[in-house]
Amino acid sequence: MIQHLFKLIWKRRKSNFLIMLEIFVAFIILFAVASLSTYLVRNYNQPSGINIDNVWTVYVNYNSLSDSLNRQNGELLEQKLKTFKEIKAYTFGHETFPYGNSHSQGDVGAKGKPSVNCSFVSIDENAPSVLGLELAQGEWFKNTDTVGRVTPVVITQYMKEKIFGDENPIGQFLGTENRQKVVGVLANFKQFSDFDELSGTLISPFRDAKTSFMARVDPSVSAEFEAQFAKSLRQINKDWNIEILHTSDMKADKNSMYTIPLTIVFIVCGFLIVNVVLGLFGVLFQNIARRRNEIGVRRAMGATQSHILSHFIGEMLVLATFAIGLGLFFAIQFPLLNVFDIENSTYLLGILVAVVVIYSLVIICAWLPSRQASTLHPAIALHEE
Amino acid sequence: MITLKNIEKVYRTDTIETLALNNINLEVSKGEFLSIMGPSGCGKSTLLNIMGLLDEPTKGGIQIDNQSITSFADKKLSAFRNQKIGFIFQSYHLINDLSVLDNVELPLLYRPSVSASERRDLATKALEKVGLSNRMKHYPTQLSGGQRQRVAIARAIVGNPSIILADEPTGNLDSNMGNEIMEILENLNKSDGTTIVMVTHDENMAKRTHRLVRLFDGSQVA
Ligand SMILES: Nc1ncnc2c1ncn2[C@@H]1O[C@H](COP(=O)(O)OP(=O)(O)OP(=O)(O)O)[C@@H](O)[C@H]1O
Ligand SMILES: [Mg+2]
Repeated sequence: MIQHLFKLIWKRRKSNFLIMLEIFVAFIILFAVASLSTYLVRNYNQPSGINIDNVWTVYVNYNSLSDSLNRQNGELLEQKLKTFKEIKAYTFGHETFPYGNSHSQGDVGAKGKPSVNCSFVSIDENAPSVLGLELAQGEWFKNTDTVGRVTPVVITQYMKEKIFGDENPIGQFLGTENRQKVVGVLANFKQFSDFDELSGTLISPFRDAKTSFMARVDPSVSAEFEAQFAKSLRQINKDWNIEILHTSDMKADKNSMYTIPLTIVFIVCGFLIVNVVLGLFGVLFQNIARRRNEIGVRRAMGATQSHILSHFIGEMLVLATFAIGLGLFFAIQFPLLNVFDIENSTYLLGILVAVVVIYSLVIICAWLPSRQASTLHPAIALHEE
Repeated sequence: MITLKNIEKVYRTDTIETLALNNINLEVSKGEFLSIMGPSGCGKSTLLNIMGLLDEPTKGGIQIDNQSITSFADKKLSAFRNQKIGFIFQSYHLINDLSVLDNVELPLLYRPSVSASERRDLATKALEKVGLSNRMKHYPTQLSGGQRQRVAIARAIVGNPSIILADEPTGNLDSNMGNEIMEILENLNKSDGTTIVMVTHDENMAKRTHRLVRLFDGSQVA
């Protein structure tokens, strides 16, 4: 029977080619969207490792270039912070705060070990209590550790695995001059958005003049408190620029950089798929209308209704299988050639989703025309020339 | 072999009602070669389709091989068509996208008990019987009308049916070709004892059969 289908499809290869092309294109689109979604959903499901409930990011600019003046201002600022009982914890750092707009990046390795691209964060010893950071291994650095030529640093688990593999990283040195000593490992630190993949981050103690900071505030604080807080900071010195942001808003902003394009991709893809479905539908109805005579002949020769139904659905499934086979050939190149640095299983899930959806769509599209073909009255089908 | 009792067929469309067959009573015995004649539109094809279980009568009953067909469901009906009946149509009705051999194999495709190699053997033999073994790989469009009708006959006989229903099998052919086809049918009837019902417009062809039934306006007149 399957051989019979192959022969018919081969004889009609010209008209079938278009159907196949259509299915092939739909497959590629679905594969791309499904792989992308899988990749992003998987990233999203990784814990961020950062708790920003009731956390504010406060950007402070003293509008001064003098380091000694800035250090004095820093002390003034910190004293003021201590007066608010609503500020539960605060941590000063470079402006490379999580979900902020500044990043710093570079390659870091260890002597005789591979190096890995990572982000640099510089923040003080209070970061864990503000950001709810939990260490998988080792401990957080203390401000008092920063004396001497050796800097204690905390790295992410991802970075540890890339550089040290299974070795214990605690106490090992990073950099060519052995200036950075690993004291702790964070399981996760998704600092750009919820959709980040696991990445390397190197966190070192902040030792410069205290300016911008992140603060954990009491959950009960109101908008009035925020206004009053901002006002009292500005009152210390009229030249200061103070910007208070809710870190959760910053994160939502960063997340929307993924969700908005993704939504557009989904809508466009949805339209394309609907188009393909309607196209297939039309072509199939037309095909079957053209083959009424053949249907009548088959019925006269003893084909049952279900023979006719499975014949036409079978033809479509064979075509879909060819198209999917061709699609798989291209899709499989992504994991094989490692086109993007993404886990193979993400592509495989994308392929699986695309295959299942395509077969379902094809069966849905083929069902109605084939059903119509099968219920065609044989005498009437043969009557027409 | 075939018994038709009080057969009536009405075609209804939104506007018109056509009485295509009116109270037909007909008995075809085993091994008989029967011809049906009548003017165009008198209901010959309709009658043949009803005998061949391709169409249902509006009223009346059919028995084939002493089995009453009227209550058969699609699956049983199809199996019956497949096992017992071979069709030959005026306009051949071959599937143009299938080779001659594949066309002839078609009825066997719907017989699960027949293997692919058996199909091939039986189809080859049927084509030999109609003298077309040298055209097996051709496609219907590459054949003459007479050759196409011989393919259609091979297809009708490949499953060794006990009844062959032929609707103007020589209608599209010149008299030489028509003669050839008629000889094949006569041969089948004589040597295999196949029951044949043939619609024809040709008095000479009809004379060569055992019995002639005449239809006029849906009714049997002789
Ligand atoms: N599907 C149909 N719907 C409506 N009327 C039909 C249908 N099929 C046949 N008829 C009508 O039934 C009558 C008998 O038609 P049928 O095809 O049996 O004639 P016929 O004797 O075979 O004619 P011909 O010699 O031209 O083939 C005709 O009047 C025709 O118009
Ligand atoms: Mg007719």
